[in-house]
Amino acid sequence: MGIAITTSDLESLYSQALEHYLAGGGEEALRGAYEVGRLALAGDVGLLDLAAFHHSALIRILADSQGQDEIRARFSAASQFFTECVSPYEMSLRGYRDAVAALRLLNETLEKEVKRIAHTVHDEAGQLLVVVYLALTEIAKDLTPAMQTRIKGVNDLLHQVEGHLRQLSHELRPTILDDLGLVPAVQFLADRVSKRSNLVIEVKAELDGRLLPGVETALYRIIQEALNNARRHSQGKNVWIQLDEDAGKTMCSIRDDGIGFQAQPYPSETGEKGLGLIGIRERLSAIGGTLQITSEPGRGTKLLIVVPKENSHANSHRARR
Amino acid sequence: MILVGNAVVERNLAAGVESEIHVPIASDQDVVVARHKGRALATELGFSGRDTTLLATAISELARNIVSYAGRGEIVLRTTHNSDRPGVMVVARDKGPGIASIEQALREGYSTSGSLGLGLPGVRRLVDEFEIVSEFGEGTTVTVRKWKG
Repeated sequence: MGIAITTSDLESLYSQALEHYLAGGGEEALRGAYEVGRLALAGDVGLLDLAAFHHSALIRILADSQGQDEIRARFSAASQFFTECVSPYEMSLRGYRDAVAALRLLNETLEKEVKRIAHTVHDEAGQLLVVVYLALTEIAKDLTPAMQTRIKGVNDLLHQVEGHLRQLSHELRPTILDDLGLVPAVQFLADRVSKRSNLVIEVKAELDGRLLPGVETALYRIIQEALNNARRHSQGKNVWIQLDEDAGKTMCSIRDDGIGFQAQPYPSETGEKGLGLIGIRERLSAIGGTLQITSEPGRGTKLLIVVPKENSHANSHRARR
Repeated sequence: MILVGNAVVERNLAAGVESEIHVPIASDQDVVVARHKGRALATELGFSGRDTTLLATAISELARNIVSYAGRGEIVLRTTHNSDRPGVMVVARDKGPGIASIEQALREGYSTSGSLGLGLPGVRRLVDEFEIVSEFGEGTTVTVRKWKG
């Protein structure tokens, strides 16, 4: 990095280094291969580009070679050269794998933490408030009617606090998701989003019992994200959510009648929408699912999520209890 | 003194008929020598082509680290054994400024190469054993072992 190097510079570097190696450059040339690979990696040149460099250099070199033996020897030496060149990519790949594993673990840890906080706010703060209501009622008995009116004012404020806490807890992670499962949680979410926005949201669900907790969480978060996108960006009026399953898979589709967007193979746009899509894909790949996005300007957006049933149901391998 | 990883140095020494190869490192040309010696050892032990390449890669990164952070140092190579499995041990030693924080050095993003998974964190993923000892102002020693697969 830092050094600006173009793809065609790298291509000629590659070809020179390869020729050097085939001309008996030995370890120095192999180190050259490694350095070219390192430069290519730092310069964002893809592995397939390197393969293409190799391919065209090799074709040229073999065309100049005489006889079977020379061709065979050069071909095998060139393979070793290529291996050295892609070795930095192997190192980098291992690094990314570790990073993905660490991020997945972090995501799980955060989800657990959010769950703990949400339940604490919901249960413990709620119980504490009940005690405060009772205490206030007791105090009010000994007071003049005028003071009782003021106590009632405090009581009303506390009700508001309770409402806010409930909402906060719910937005963090609805207890309904843990207690009753995905479908009631999605219906509840749809109701709330409808009330806060002008969207009409229809939920149709035909699921055979509960899904695995990780899958319920992932689908819930994805639907939450999709509804956010629909509300903020789509300018549509209707959203249809459908959850169902057939023999082999659990499916979830979220469709809106908004303005749609030009679907990009790599959602690179900055801002919440792009990040949201990346987040959705990452959550899905962690549970072995896939995401298909269909969108065209003026024709709404449809997200189709498919999770293989063996990944979504605890009871798919054994009889239901 | 900070130690990371498990040291099994004594046992390896006891096995010891192996001779050590010392390669002083101060320039790119020296890196080539270290790679060459390492490759020769690995080939002699019957390492696969893939593992030989990965070892050369690890040596390159270790040597590069010496050249860029300490200026000069040495790489010591020798064969080693883990019960019946032969392997190559590489010790990269310098008398440079030392790494103020090993944790930091091993974290991605410490340097530009780190963010791509290269550098010391990259080396750690290419070998079977990795230890680093660094004392601020006294230099750094990285010891790695790669066993025959």
